[in-house]
Amino acid sequence: TSLSKGQPPAVSGWGVLVVGAGGIGCELLKNLVLTGFKNIEVIDLDTIDVSNLNRQFLFQKKHVGKSKAQVAKESALQFCPSANITAYHDSIMNPEYNVEFFRKFMLVMNALDNRAARNHVNRMCLAADIPLIESGTAGYLGQVTVIKKGMTECYECQPKPAQKTFPGCTIRNTPSEPIHCIVWAKYLFNQLFGEEDADQEVSPDTADPEAAWNPEETAARATASDKDGDIKRVSTKEWARSTGYDSVKLFNKLFKDDIMYLLTMDKLWKKRKAPTPLDWHQLENSAHDTCNKEQLFAQRLKDQQVLDVWGYCQLFQHSVETLRSQLQEKGEGAELVWDKDDPPAMDFVTAAANLRMHIFSMNMKSRFDVKSMAGNIIPAIATTNAVIAGLIVLEGLKILSGELESCRTIFLNKCPNLRKKLLVPCVLDPPSANCYVCASKPEVTVKLNVHKTMVLTLQDKIVKERFGMVAPDVQIEDGKGTILISSEEGETEGNNNKFLSDFGIRNGSRLQADDFLQDYTLLINVLHVEDLERDVEFEVVGEAPDKAPPPQTNQEEVNSITNGNKDSAQPSTSSKGQHRSGHDANAMTGGVNIQSCKNDNKHLSVPLISSIEWKVFFVCLFQ
Amino acid sequence: HIAIMASTKASKEQKYDRQLRLWGDHGQETLENAHVCLINATATGTEILKNLVLPGIGAFTIVDGHTVTGEDVGNNFFLSKDSIGKNRAQAATELLQELNSDVSGNFVEEGPDKLLDNDSEFFHRFTIVIGVQLPESTCLRLGSVLCSASVPFLVCKTYGLIGYMRLVVQEHTVIESHPDNALEDLRLDQPYAEFQNHIKSYDLDSMEKKDHSHTPWIIIVAKYLEKWLSEHNGQPPKNYKEKEAFRQLIREGIRKNENGVPEDEENFEEAIKNVNTALNPTKIPSAVEDIFNSEQCKNITAQSPSFWVMLRAVKEFVHNEGNGSLPVRGTIPDMIADSQKFINLQNVYREKAMQDAAAVSKHVESLLQSVGKVWPESIPEKDIKLFCKNASFLRVVRCRSLAEEYSVDTVNKDEITSCMDSPDSEMVFYLMLRAVDRFYQQHSRYPGVYNYQVEEDISKLKVCVNSLLQEYSLNVNIKDDYIHEFCRYGAAEPHTVSAFLGGSAAQEAIKIISHQFVPFNNTFLYNAMSQTSATLSL
Repeated sequence: TSLSKGQPPAVSGWGVLVVGAGGIGCELLKNLVLTGFKNIEVIDLDTIDVSNLNRQFLFQKKHVGKSKAQVAKESALQFCPSANITAYHDSIMNPEYNVEFFRKFMLVMNALDNRAARNHVNRMCLAADIPLIESGTAGYLGQVTVIKKGMTECYECQPKPAQKTFPGCTIRNTPSEPIHCIVWAKYLFNQLFGEEDADQEVSPDTADPEAAWNPEETAARATASDKDGDIKRVSTKEWARSTGYDSVKLFNKLFKDDIMYLLTMDKLWKKRKAPTPLDWHQLENSAHDTCNKEQLFAQRLKDQQVLDVWGYCQLFQHSVETLRSQLQEKGEGAELVWDKDDPPAMDFVTAAANLRMHIFSMNMKSRFDVKSMAGNIIPAIATTNAVIAGLIVLEGLKILSGELESCRTIFLNKCPNLRKKLLVPCVLDPPSANCYVCASKPEVTVKLNVHKTMVLTLQDKIVKERFGMVAPDVQIEDGKGTILISSEEGETEGNNNKFLSDFGIRNGSRLQADDFLQDYTLLINVLHVEDLERDVEFEVVGEAPDKAPPPQTNQEEVNSITNGNKDSAQPSTSSKGQHRSGHDANAMTGGVNIQSCKNDNKHLSVPLISSIEWKVFFVCLFQ
Repeated sequence: HIAIMASTKASKEQKYDRQLRLWGDHGQETLENAHVCLINATATGTEILKNLVLPGIGAFTIVDGHTVTGEDVGNNFFLSKDSIGKNRAQAATELLQELNSDVSGNFVEEGPDKLLDNDSEFFHRFTIVIGVQLPESTCLRLGSVLCSASVPFLVCKTYGLIGYMRLVVQEHTVIESHPDNALEDLRLDQPYAEFQNHIKSYDLDSMEKKDHSHTPWIIIVAKYLEKWLSEHNGQPPKNYKEKEAFRQLIREGIRKNENGVPEDEENFEEAIKNVNTALNPTKIPSAVEDIFNSEQCKNITAQSPSFWVMLRAVKEFVHNEGNGSLPVRGTIPDMIADSQKFINLQNVYREKAMQDAAAVSKHVESLLQSVGKVWPESIPEKDIKLFCKNASFLRVVRCRSLAEEYSVDTVNKDEITSCMDSPDSEMVFYLMLRAVDRFYQQHSRYPGVYNYQVEEDISKLKVCVNSLLQEYSLNVNIKDDYIHEFCRYGAAEPHTVSAFLGGSAAQEAIKIISHQFVPFNNTFLYNAMSQTSATLSL
């Protein structure tokens, strides 16, 4: 009966930060306001989408496209005008939200949907020494946990399964699972209509180490690639534009010529089944009845149906045409942004991915399934978020009552488990001594090839992506303090394409990586190895190789937020028991918030005010 | 018109996309046809309803004779200061309605007892009735009315830091129970004729290398099982040792290159990995056997719900065409194979499933005919297919009635006393809630609502606890701490506990409305202090 003892949480005087105004965030905001929290700040960089409306109840159809944080604040104020809510339509990773910003709060609550931001807030709360409640949901599953520097595990104490990234060669040359084709199709969208990204190449990768061909074969390959003009010399987008986004030309290049080119890399197909190129005209001639656009539209509504190859050819054509005119309407130099909830963009990816699946002998997928995978969609419903947000506030009240030791990590199951428990509370674990984030002197060892790893890879894939820094400075511990990477723009850009060995980095070298914003320093030991697995650029010693996890069919496991516990959806955070008992719980100045304190004072702690006084109070206020 | 319908459908698909992934279009359709009744728009009540309005139930009706007070506004998001003095059902309906324009909101400004007095059939029209913060006497009365009308009744209560739910439904059928880790239905132990022919169409020895390494693992296992059976008097591998030997047999089938080194054949590896599950004997799950034997299955009448008609038809199928087995499910897992071979194999299963469903359909038809129901009073084909596909996962939930739970003769004493062996079991909260109800009956108020009463109410509540235990001859001990705690609660509904219960109760309501997933049976308790929960059968 932890909440019944000790001092009451004087919630009204304390500032709290809610990071994220989505499914959990909306519920949380409501619960906080009705529990008497008066100073609430909420931040979210996202805008409202139609698919949010089935659960994010502070938003309505008329709000689609507007800032989540702003609308959430306005809707909550409509119901509870006396609350003091500050909204930021911004990323929490923006440098403005520094350690000083975090120190303003008594408690930070995460209601996020991505690991990068969770890692960052974890570090900011560690740096500011502010308790953090971490949470997440996926379908019927949910999790809440508490993080407090020095007392509990931090968000990054337990290694999380690698987030799904796929090696370039697999995407470009040798897809073996539908997801590879879907990723390829998303890349293709960006190459054709969106922002081009060198890491998102879609054409055959001639540098595939596995293909390593003999020089005499080169001639044959050159001929193959010249067929439709050597498109290597111009970007995919420029070439597409030069054809006027001719869907048949695009089709034949992507699904015939490129595939025929891949076939010339015959080493790839010794053990694999070789792909089968598709030809538009051949397909067109053999298609029995050509369905018209209207039928196609009708088909598109049948989200859960798998079309035949010609059906996807037509969907490809139709979506290319729609996207082309969208691009034209936006004017010269415009770019489209892929969005799973934008029908033509989703149609394009469905069609292109399925055609590629067919070419590589995979079973095609419905638009509904492709959307799940392409959008990394985690099913989401109002009920789970409501349960989780309820749990968060109760944990928050414990923290603010100075009862951190009674806080728990709580898992919400889909249905009562064998022991008839829907909720599984677990005692918080102490910090892991080897954590590369919250240990007193964080240190890691990274296996890589110093002759093949570029500084840019070190910066983007290792220091930023893997170790979660936002604006890193990296120097070599070579006695001279050589600066390899600077967070100041332009200072070390010249280093980007040089190899680590060019700076004298070799086996046993030590690099010091700093993130000033996160107040975080990490020592990286370099372990040089000549041979890493195909497509693996580096490995963190003591962790599984950094490659894609095995395919998963269970929707709930696919989410990137899982913390490795199969029964759970998400990880969480900790808090520390800072008591500001000097604040007056009764500092209420009218308005609706007042009543929520009734619960706090009377029911969550030893009553400070008698109920009769509350009744009188209500009578005075409202009659 | 078609265009408008299509665009409405598309916009709903978009709005509900994230939940369609859990219960499908047909689940959504049942929600959209549902009419939910909420009794009492307290914080817990409106939280539950909010979580049903958002995913798009068809309609709701709030029944509430109370007037909005300042206290209501303090913990209820859907009541505003301006609504003080108005009827609570009306005020809450206005704000809840705003959440989703697809939902029709109604309200009745009367309490449930009065409604029952005037029109005992009032509640018959609803898909489910959710009663919140109701006293025991009203629950009992409503429970029996709803039971006779076969309307599910979900009783919910937030009492201080305790959440309570009780499901009252005589019989709730579930076609799609969505079990975790369900076994595949592959029939390798008893291949049907079409499957046998398909297996025969493969000759692993004479195949080209590429075909060999792209043959689906199901075919591989079937081929080697055939071989095994012929060498083992028709007995499949049973124990670990035999299964290991069977794996070895498959392993030996991997092609070797000119140097005698085995090739990389992932499909064979997949076959070896799947031996255990593949050899699982095809049988009817005991839960399904049980419902085959129930009265509703035996006695089909013109009034039998379609679930029972279909169940009986499946039973007939098992005894006739099925030769003792359920209809083939018709799905196979993803596997390494080229498209053509996979699709061919899939079609063998799919076509058999369609055949079986057609046979079940025939039984349905003749059953309906036998009870005098003729065309067009039939059961849609797609329902029968869904039923057959889920034949192994069918569930029937039967909850005891409140009258049975409360009667001295039928009280579940065993469950209570065995739980109370650990005095801090969630069961203690159940007993305390019952004691508090007893307090309410005697004093027409809840204990500790006014602070000056807390001290004297503690001893009064203790009297109620003791008389409750005595009446049911329960030899259990309830710590004084709990009696103090319940007096301190003063029947308050802290918002965040209401929010939790709002989510949990709405989730159960969705299960019941959609007939998907298995609801709890029959009591759920939540302790917000320790963040623990339990389900009890009472």
